Amino acid sequence: MLDKIKSNFNTQTWVLIPIAIAINLVVGQIVLTLKLPVFLDSIGTVLVAVLCGPWAGALTGALSNTIAGIALDPGWFPWWPVAAMIGYMAGRMAEWGFFKSWWKVVVTGFVIALTAVIVSTPIAVYLFGGITASGSSFITAYLLQTGQGIWQAVASTSFITEPVDKITTAMLAFAIILGLPKRTVGGYPKAANAEAEGADRNQLYIAIGVVVLLVLFAAFLLRNILGG
Amino acid sequence: MALVNIQNLTYKYPLTKTPALQNINLQIEQGEFISVIGANGAGKSTLCYALAGFVPHFFKGEISGEIEVDGVASSKSTLDEWVVNVGLAFQNPFNQISGAKYTVFEEIAFGLENAGVPREQMQSRVEEAMKLTGISNLADRSPYSLSGGQQQRVALTSILVMQPKLLVLDEPTSQMDPIGTREVFSVIHNLTQSGMTVVMVEHKVEWIAHFATRVIALKDGSILTEGKPGDVLTSDVLTKNGFGVSRYTSVAREAKKQGLWKKEKLPVTLFEAAEGFNRNA
Amino acid sequence: MHERLSFYIKRDSVIHRLNPLTKLVLVFAFIGVAFTFPWYWMSLSLFLFVLIPLAFVAKVSREYFFTATRLILPAAGFLFLMQALFQPIGEEIIFQFYFLDATRESLAFAFTIAARIIVMISAFTLLLLTTHPSELMSDLTRRGLPGQFAYVIISTLQILPQMQAKAQTIIAAQRSRGLDTESTFLKRAGSVLPLVGPLVFGSLVEVEERAIAIEARGFTSKKEKTSLHEVPDTVTDKTIRWVLIILIILSISLNLWL
Repeated sequence: MLDKIKSNFNTQTWVLIPIAIAINLVVGQIVLTLKLPVFLDSIGTVLVAVLCGPWAGALTGALSNTIAGIALDPGWFPWWPVAAMIGYMAGRMAEWGFFKSWWKVVVTGFVIALTAVIVSTPIAVYLFGGITASGSSFITAYLLQTGQGIWQAVASTSFITEPVDKITTAMLAFAIILGLPKRTVGGYPKAANAEAEGADRNQLYIAIGVVVLLVLFAAFLLRNILGG
Repeated sequence: MALVNIQNLTYKYPLTKTPALQNINLQIEQGEFISVIGANGAGKSTLCYALAGFVPHFFKGEISGEIEVDGVASSKSTLDEWVVNVGLAFQNPFNQISGAKYTVFEEIAFGLENAGVPREQMQSRVEEAMKLTGISNLADRSPYSLSGGQQQRVALTSILVMQPKLLVLDEPTSQMDPIGTREVFSVIHNLTQSGMTVVMVEHKVEWIAHFATRVIALKDGSILTEGKPGDVLTSDVLTKNGFGVSRYTSVAREAKKQGLWKKEKLPVTLFEAAEGFNRNA
Repeated sequence: MHERLSFYIKRDSVIHRLNPLTKLVLVFAFIGVAFTFPWYWMSLSLFLFVLIPLAFVAKVSREYFFTATRLILPAAGFLFLMQALFQPIGEEIIFQFYFLDATRESLAFAFTIAARIIVMISAFTLLLLTTHPSELMSDLTRRGLPGQFAYVIISTLQILPQMQAKAQTIIAAQRSRGLDTESTFLKRAGSVLPLVGPLVFGSLVEVEERAIAIEARGFTSKKEKTSLHEVPDTVTDKTIRWVLIILIILSISLNLWL
């Protein structure tokens, strides 16, 4: 176990983690300026998870939220277990070979999103009574008013926002790794997990199609909930 | 016995087909100042990394032959043991800042902390090294608030403070403006005075002529020619292989064809050229 | 540009002189008690009668109030409003806002949560105002935290402002080339890559060289690390830490018992 954890960390891992945390937070801020319906605040975490392994990913996620809590907005702080699990799952999926082509990356993104829903729901319920300081709490509040149970309301809310966000995150991370020179990637402990197999353009189109469908699905859900 | 002994060194980076270094044989004596020249991809940086232990310990890849420093073979050592004896500084001063420290003083002490040097010694060693490189006045500044030349001197000091037996410098002035270049070279001048053994990759031919005791020209991963700066830097071999020469050398070479340069040896620096032409008159 | 992500205010006070670990335990004691102590007014009392006086003792009261009004109160106030209006608990409606209503119970719940958040954030603020990050990290390293953690934390705190500045430059550059943060959704989505790309690739390509630079200075050395600064740890510090730990345990037991 300890050896497995240690195998995630070489000097390049330690240098990458601070940069990955900064990428998380700065990209998150840029996306906020662009007023897009996603967060994209875990691209760095997924990068570390894929290139260095699940434990390095988990550490990056946890530290990312801790440091954001100290430096930007204390509201980040309670969600560190979510960020840590996102990193861990991304790393595991990569180890299982699910970060080698576009459609597999979409699957990984979806699994990460599910993980995020599962871990964040109890935190939202126990710590905030379901209503967090995030904008999506309007949906939760509405669902609560319509008589849904608190667990169901919180989980459905994050199920509306998470998949699109995490699939986009995973795809961006994959695009970044593909764009880097082979030599730059080669120095990380688990670089082999990110080696793209048989470049196939169709996969990219399928993957983008899935994302578009999910966006439409989310929009449909939103309209039905708020309009109905 | 030579301080550095390289025997039949051949090395290939991972994922590449042609070797970056081919059959290198090189002995370096204590106190020598060696200047390495060559085109892009000639293997200069790889040679630096090999001397500093990063080839093959950091980059992996295929290696044959042997590098010894102070009687210890690289193949029988680990990187963290190796860097105690061989210091490395390179082009980009910004990337050499550890990021783990808030002041220049702490930054320079970083290597000593890692090496487990007792606190009492640390203080005096850092102060001494800063005096040698002339940055004592920067002690309390943030490393990120400095100019490129200052940062490069901090990087040099951070390596010198570890008291290496061999100092490897990979184009330390290539990203400096003229002021930064002069700052860095004045530090190197102090080093030569103190008898430090230095291997330096550098393009500024006049500076090389001024400092180096020996010049090594690399081409396609092999040593093309080596010898005293005055001989190597003016040799026809270099010109034939596309190396640039100092403008004083090319002027004197033209002058020689027309019988205006009487001396056998061609000049490298302005001073040598002026002296040579003066004697003609 | 040289703005560092550090709240630290260099002053000479009893609080500044405390060992960093003592202050860290103090923070967790505040959080532990605020979240578990079974008395409705506990969190607010901690803030008013302990944390604020401590800020005066630490001679950082001005900075403390500045942080409070800029950071803590807006966050807590927003949370309070959300909770009061959105929590579907209670019968006795105090006031209504469209389909949302604030009841006596939801107001009480909102108050509890907001007060806890205030304690949590302001306790951290006190720690950060009186403790230099490198002092905290070198003390924790001395106590056995792997040196790499200190590297990661401090290096993140230094890289983050640099990268924020870089992002501002890139956004400004893209704006001058016609990027419009108010334009259509597709255009905004399309501008993610040109904004994020240069930032991310630039910093990832540097990793190898930076790793070489710190390895050249013995980052992976197996020797026991030493520290340039000596961080004092007195008997008073040890006593305070034990008292605080007992307080936390007491508060948790009371919570479970009642």
